[in-house]
Amino acid sequence: MPDVFNWQLGRAMGYRFPAAYPKRQFAFVFNINRCLACQTCTMACKSTWTFSEGQEYMWWNNVETKPYGGYPQGWDVKTLALLEQANPGGQVWDARPAGRPGSIYGVFKGQTIFEAAQAKGGQEQALGYLPTDEEYRSPNIYEDTARGRRGEPGVYGMGTSLPEHTTWFFYLQRLCNHCSYPACLAACPRNAIYKRPEDGIVLIDQARCRGYRKCVEQCPYKKPMYRATTRVSEKCIGCYPRVEGTDPLTEGIPMETRCMAVCPGKIRMQGLVEIDPRTGDWKPDPENPLYYLVKESKVALPLYPQFGTQPNGYYIPPRWVPREYLEQMFGPGVEHAIEQYLAPPRELLAVLQLFRATQRIIFKFEIRKGPKVRDVVIGGRKWSMYNDTVIGYDSAGNEVANLSVVEPMYVRPRKYLNSI
Amino acid sequence: MNRVGGKTVAVMALAVGLAGVLTLSGTRMAASQGTVLTAAKTDRVVPVTEPWSSFWNRVPKVSIPLSAQQVTPPMGGHRWTLEARAVQDGERLYIELEWADPTPNRSVAAPQLFTDAAAIEFPSVAATSVPALCMGDPNATVNIWQWKAAWQADVHRGFQGGVRHRYPNADVDGYPFHEDPAFSPGRYVDNPFSATDRTSPVDNLVAGGFGTLTADPAPVVQGWGAWRDGTWRVVFSRPLAVGREGNVELGPDDWTDVAFAVWDGAADERDGMKSVSSFVALDVSPKPMPWGPGFPYWPAPFFVFLALWAGFAWMVIGHLPGKGRT
Repeated sequence: MPDVFNWQLGRAMGYRFPAAYPKRQFAFVFNINRCLACQTCTMACKSTWTFSEGQEYMWWNNVETKPYGGYPQGWDVKTLALLEQANPGGQVWDARPAGRPGSIYGVFKGQTIFEAAQAKGGQEQALGYLPTDEEYRSPNIYEDTARGRRGEPGVYGMGTSLPEHTTWFFYLQRLCNHCSYPACLAACPRNAIYKRPEDGIVLIDQARCRGYRKCVEQCPYKKPMYRATTRVSEKCIGCYPRVEGTDPLTEGIPMETRCMAVCPGKIRMQGLVEIDPRTGDWKPDPENPLYYLVKESKVALPLYPQFGTQPNGYYIPPRWVPREYLEQMFGPGVEHAIEQYLAPPRELLAVLQLFRATQRIIFKFEIRKGPKVRDVVIGGRKWSMYNDTVIGYDSAGNEVANLSVVEPMYVRPRKYLNSI
Repeated sequence: MNRVGGKTVAVMALAVGLAGVLTLSGTRMAASQGTVLTAAKTDRVVPVTEPWSSFWNRVPKVSIPLSAQQVTPPMGGHRWTLEARAVQDGERLYIELEWADPTPNRSVAAPQLFTDAAAIEFPSVAATSVPALCMGDPNATVNIWQWKAAWQADVHRGFQGGVRHRYPNADVDGYPFHEDPAFSPGRYVDNPFSATDRTSPVDNLVAGGFGTLTADPAPVVQGWGAWRDGTWRVVFSRPLAVGREGNVELGPDDWTDVAFAVWDGAADERDGMKSVSSFVALDVSPKPMPWGPGFPYWPAPFFVFLALWAGFAWMVIGHLPGKGRT
């Protein structure tokens, strides 16, 4: 089994195929702190791609309530349990920086789903399980259900003081992570799944698929789904006509996916990052907002990096949730990410304004400095807020977003208070 | 030394002699070892869609050992035995497979449902180089006939894919653009798996290595399966010659290698997760089929004759002088 370098784990790992990287990679950052689970993203995806017979149960994009919710039910804890069973007590991180470029979260010492499958005898490419249709049928099960029991100290009604609530839940927004080392792609005995060299979007060839559902079984995020009316599997296609700029609506300029573009809560930003063809890591590109958020500020973290697929969806973790839970979900970068988000550096505060400012993919941003607005104390430390302006540019260099940190405001004169 | 040298020469001579005999007789080692499945000639109408017909009970059967597929992931299956019968009628080859399976699995209407299936594999070109057992190789392809219980359900009862086949009371407001095939991409790109108008439960496939399995869209292989009391019987039928690239060509006096595979849907078996046999020999023989014991019809006329004779005897005895009524 060839070795590939997984920068999220800070080390090499075994994978079915030798390293081969796309020129650019589809990636996104979700700010969990802002999501209100309105499911507009979910319905935008549904009404675009999965409204047909056989797709009734499919939600390529879904928003679930953690810790109890999940679509399919228990998708993450089931895979975590399989890994723990395969490597009892060994699924740990060495969070000290490893000193080699790329290993920004330390080094994962445990087994990935690929390594655990090899350790079990190599009968499969990756450790996984096949959900039943019953597990898919309640996509929003345990909606708004908090951890903690009513009436006990520190729980319902009393468990909401920072830094960690003892009564808590949060919304997790999910779609295909278009992983750099996709388990679905490795699992497919037909080689019917491929990763596009131009943007890293992972697709199932509908002509080659023979409905074996090994991708459904081995994708740890459970995003390939079987369609009984065509007897083959389907998955999120990253709205590739929009990302390519070939959808007529885009007028030739790369545009964010449907689920990203509709988000009323402005929690989503999606784009394309440049990939170093030698290492597979992101090319330094500090003017790309995604690069800035993931690699420079490190405010956004990968979802379950320990699975080993190097997912390309990143999350700004919810600041009120117990750190132990978040570290299981996002790795050792959680403490730093929350610190960054609680008292954002000047640049980060500006970049956060770009979320959902335009449908166009922002390839480059620029910050024009503005005056200091106020000083406040956050977590015992002084923090200064500046009214900087952030400008976003599309692939053609057109200005597509221009926002200040302080939202412009107009106060209507008193004499017009009741006029229409 | 002389003795050792003499032995060596003798062994070599034996080997050369054996090779010569095998070459002259056209015998191939891979096919000549162990089991031979003979497809003898029959003039009767072969009941393709009646695997449990008494016809099949009279065809001699051979046991084929199966074992788990352990060559490439995903692996699976187990060690057990399949029974095979074969006949030919000068036009078509018929092979019946019989195996034990406590549950018939005929649906693929949900993510976790897999179909029972069985397959027969031939080298595409009979009696030349023997291809790799598993899916062949690029220089020596294999021809695979795969029967699926789910495909048979489609042929028998119409396409079984919709949500109501799984949940009969499901209610759906409607499907926008339902008539537009673009929204069923598998069908739109002519994936044979997505076909709704299947006419045979047997797929005809050609492969030249792992991941190269390709369906031949022409439904040249027919077949039918029936499950009864924990046993599947499936009949495959195809013209001996079809003249299609990658398809095995056979004559009425011919022979080839053949291998078998069985998938148990209840154990989530699909693809490489299957029980497989080694190659065994298939002898397509022009000799008439030696009818096996079958159903014992011969006592019937005997008993009829006996009854008639006894009746006659009773009548004769009843009318003998001195035996009249008093």
